[in-house]
Amino acid sequence: MTRVVLVPGVLALLPEYASLEDPVAELRAACLSAVAWLGSGPVEILADSQGERVARALLSARDPVVEVRGPLGPSLETTAAAYLVVGNGSACRSEKAPGHLDERAAAYDDALRAALTSRPANWPDIELGKGLLAGLDGIVRLPELLPPGVQAQVDYDDDPFGVQYWVLRWQW
Amino acid sequence: MTLRLGRHVFEDDATLMMAIVNRTPDSFYDQGATWAEDRALERVELVVAQGAEIVDIGGIKAAPGFEISAAEEMSRVVDFVARVRVAYPSLVISVDTWRASVAAAVCAVGADVINDAWGGADPELVDAAAEGGAAVICTHTGGVTPRTRPYRIEYDDVVAAAIADTVAYAERAVAAGVSPESVVIDPAHDFGKNTFHSLEITRRLGEMVDTGYPVLVSLSNKDFVGETLDLPVGSRLVGTLAATAVCALAGARIYRVHEVVETRQVVDMVSSIAGRRPPRRAIRGLQ
Repeated sequence: MTRVVLVPGVLALLPEYASLEDPVAELRAACLSAVAWLGSGPVEILADSQGERVARALLSARDPVVEVRGPLGPSLETTAAAYLVVGNGSACRSEKAPGHLDERAAAYDDALRAALTSRPANWPDIELGKGLLAGLDGIVRLPELLPPGVQAQVDYDDDPFGVQYWVLRWQW
Repeated sequence: MTLRLGRHVFEDDATLMMAIVNRTPDSFYDQGATWAEDRALERVELVVAQGAEIVDIGGIKAAPGFEISAAEEMSRVVDFVARVRVAYPSLVISVDTWRASVAAAVCAVGADVINDAWGGADPELVDAAAEGGAAVICTHTGGVTPRTRPYRIEYDDVVAAAIADTVAYAERAVAAGVSPESVVIDPAHDFGKNTFHSLEITRRLGEMVDTGYPVLVSLSNKDFVGETLDLPVGSRLVGTLAATAVCALAGARIYRVHEVVETRQVVDMVSSIAGRRPPRRAIRGLQ
C-alpha cells in the first residue's frame, strides 16, 4: 500500500517563524494530521528546497521521528510506501495576495484542483502556474507517482492569504 | 531566574506592567484623581483590563509634603489592598511603602510585593516582607531621607553605586528570609539623582541586568524626562516611552507605569526586536 500527502509550502509552518498566535492554525492541524497518517516508516519528500524544510518540520513533529529521505531525483525510481509532496496553487488570488490579483489565478487553481483530486492525467500549464507564483516543484512529480484515476481525500482547501492551499491524501 | 511575586510565579523572560494606583490626594501626576477609594478601584479595574500584571498601591506621594503617619498611611492602603485582593485573586498586588509596620499590615491582607522606593530606610522592612511571604523591590536612593529631593548629590559612578546598594539591599533581604526568587532591584530614576544621573542609569541599565537580579524601572513621567525635553507633567509620555525602549532593550523586567497600554506596546516591540519574544501574529512573506 502506498500513501501520498500533499501540503502547501507555507513558511509560517516552520518553527523559526512561530508567532505567539498561530496565523495558520487550521492549516497546520490539517497538515499534521495528514502527515501522521503517512505512518511511522520512511517518507520520501517531493519538494523544492524551501518545501523540503516545511516537510521536515512537519515530519519532525511526529512521534516517533522516523527516517526522512530528501527530494527525489530527476525520475521516480523508488517504491517507497509513503510520500510527502509540498506544493500549492497560485499566490495571486486577491489584491492582498503576495502576487497581487491576477484574473487568471482562480481558473488556474480550479484546473489544478481538478487535476489533483480527480483527473491526474490532465494537468494545467506549468509555465503559467509559475507566473502565478504557484509552488509546483513537488506537484509536477505527482503525475508519474499517482496511478490513473486514483481519488484524493481533501482535508483542506482554502486561500486565506490569497494563496491557494490544499492538504490532500491519496492511497492505493 | 524565575520570578516569584508573593503567590504568583512568572517565567524567566516575562516582562510585567506594574500600574501605579495612588491612594493619595496630591500625587504629582494625577493630583489625587484616585484618592477616593471607589475611584482607586476603578483605576485597578481599568489597568487590569489593559493587561497590567501588577498594581502598585501607594498611600504617600514621593515628594515632600505634609507628614503622613504610619496610622494614616495604613488607613489609606490596608483596607483597599484587602478589597483588591478579593476582587482580583490573580492580580499581583504591590504596596509602595518604606515602613515595616505598613508592610506587615498589607502583607496580612494579601499584598504580594513591598515596593520600598526609599531604599531600605526602615531596616525592619525586609523582616516584615519575609514574614509576610512577599517580594521586595530594592531601590537605590543614595541614602537620602524618604520624601526628600536630591540636592547637590554626586557620585563617582552612579551606576556602580546603584548596583552596590541594590545588591547589598537584596542580600540583606535574602538574609532576612525573603526568597531569592522574590528580590527585584530598581535603580530608582530621579530618587537621589539629578537628570544626568538618571540618563546615565538608563544608558547603562544593562550593567544592572547583568547582576542577575530582575530589574524594575520606574520612569513614568518623571522629572528627568521633563528636564531632558523641557516638558511639563502631562507632556512626557513620548519621552517616557523612549526611555522605556532603552531599558527594555537592556533587559528590564518590570515597568512601573501610569500608561499601561502604551508601555506594553513599546516593551513588546523592543522585546521582539531583541529576539526575546515572537511576534504576535506574523504572516507577511510567509504565506
